[in-house]
Amino acid sequence: MIVGFLLYPLVYEALLATPAAPFAEAFLPAITFMVVVLYMGLFAMSFDFVSGYTGYLSFGHAAFFGTGAYFVVLAANGQVPGVPGGTPFMITLLLGATLAGLLALVIGSVSFRLTGVYFAMITLGFAQVIYELIRSWGYVSTNPTEGATVSGDALAIGVPYVDALSLDVGRLTGESVENLLGLGIDLSATVVSYYALGVVVVGCYFAMQRIIHSPFGRVMIAIRENEERARAVGYPTYRFKLAAFAISGFFGAIAGGIFAAYSRSVAPDGTFYFLVTADALITTIVGGFGTLAGPIYGTLFNQGLEDVLSTESGGIATLLREGLPPSVLEADLFGVSLELFVNTAVDGRAPLYLGIIFVLFVLFVPNGILGTLRDRLGGTVGKRLPYHLRRYRR
Amino acid sequence: MTTLELDGVHTYYGESHILQGLSLSVEEGEIVALVGRNGVGKTTTLRTALGLTPPREGTVWFDGTDVTGMEPHEIAARGMGWVPEERRVFSHLTVAENLRVAAHSAADPDARIAEAYELFPALDRFADKEAGDLSGGQQQMLAIARGMVGDNDLLLVDEPSEGLAPQIVEDVVEALRAASADTTMVLVEQNFRLAMDLADRFYLVDHGVVVEAGETAGVTSEDERIRRYLTA
Repeated sequence: MIVGFLLYPLVYEALLATPAAPFAEAFLPAITFMVVVLYMGLFAMSFDFVSGYTGYLSFGHAAFFGTGAYFVVLAANGQVPGVPGGTPFMITLLLGATLAGLLALVIGSVSFRLTGVYFAMITLGFAQVIYELIRSWGYVSTNPTEGATVSGDALAIGVPYVDALSLDVGRLTGESVENLLGLGIDLSATVVSYYALGVVVVGCYFAMQRIIHSPFGRVMIAIRENEERARAVGYPTYRFKLAAFAISGFFGAIAGGIFAAYSRSVAPDGTFYFLVTADALITTIVGGFGTLAGPIYGTLFNQGLEDVLSTESGGIATLLREGLPPSVLEADLFGVSLELFVNTAVDGRAPLYLGIIFVLFVLFVPNGILGTLRDRLGGTVGKRLPYHLRRYRR
Repeated sequence: MTTLELDGVHTYYGESHILQGLSLSVEEGEIVALVGRNGVGKTTTLRTALGLTPPREGTVWFDGTDVTGMEPHEIAARGMGWVPEERRVFSHLTVAENLRVAAHSAADPDARIAEAYELFPALDRFADKEAGDLSGGQQQMLAIARGMVGDNDLLLVDEPSEGLAPQIVEDVVEALRAASADTTMVLVEQNFRLAMDLADRFYLVDHGVVVEAGETAGVTSEDERIRRYLTA
């Protein structure tokens, strides 16, 4: 998976220089969409960390994404007491994540007294209260409903206070690299941001994976499987759930923080709103609950579909409009021309198809993409795929 | 020394009054069977002892300490283990992980797990297999092994033969005998003969109270004092 993410921009850029460029633009997600896959994928992984491994659905997870995002922007603007403006982004990112972890402890200390749908609803309630507060908090900006923007320099990912080991990120403000290592490869600001954000996401993924494979992670799974039994074995499950929630909130805020660094602006609707959590829920179900890496695949699937069905960077609609002769586009079939069909049923209709696909996944692929793959292979893909390939070759 | 004592315990599920002043005691090293019809409060007695369904009245003593109102994890940490009915293993953890999770309170977890593998060689063979993929008998072995590895002074065993083939039940009985060598045990069992074979003493429970008690030697389900409480 990591190799695929590493090579993707290079392969994509190379394809754009070939005659297959229109098809690459139509069917492969652009790098800007892949950046979204990174931070939303990390957010979905943090959601899966608590929801998929302890069995408690955190419907208020957007609160942590928003906390990380807003903290980074406010800190960059010198609006956080005790954090001087100009503090390196990596430090404010960790501070924001720690704040989100503490917020998770507060929310969790009340919410984990409940289970099932009641837990999901109370976390949602907390998040909506915070959303409403942020929307009307004049300290954030003069128009808090529209959010806030980073007013200063670009935010850099890397080693704090060491410019040579840091890269500015952002679609417009990020660094570009010319003639990488003398290989003649030029990397645009978006591609550099993609790799910089990717390093953070991969680091977070391995950290969460390490926790899940630790004794602590085994207790999380035991709680999901049978909480009563876990208590009877001697585990104070309330404290374990609380700790898992705080860790999950921490990584959710990291996702929000890197999103803010890349986009340089935050708004309540794109961070604290419950639909942000809904995105994570959908991509986790599509990718596979309790798989950790699955949500990244789910997000890739989600964003890929959105890119294919949008005209922002190519897409099927553009390919058809520009590739087909006018006579075909205007041909009438049952009173509908192909052009009208493309305009109404393809262009920008990703949410419609995603909804249908979500229903189909819930009905027919309940374990999601990665969960089903692991079931079929009999273990994790990394461990079992080589074995199956060897058997196939024989 | 008395390991477990329930004194006038009243336990409810919502408004349903299940245990209605039940009292019993279990001495160190004993196997004590709780017998009776379905729904008379046997499993609730175990759950009350472990704090999973705390009593509204009465007292639970464990190793001389009043544990009434304590959290289940606090009682478990004091050395009370549970082998629940229907096995209830952690199905997505491997056999080894199930034992590792349960052995966390043991002084030497590795040694305890090695002992469990020695006692149940089948578990050793399937150590890396997910517990949910084991057969019913193997899951029961795992459930018993899990109860054993935590250095427990007392093991509460609920319906160990439920849903198992007769041949497998014999293996389970042998496993319980082996486990009882260094652990006091309270056994809830529908199979009256099996319970009498395994246990030293019994308590016959009906409508949430103990109605008969005594040594198991020579007791059969045909005894009039027993039969009237076991038949519907």
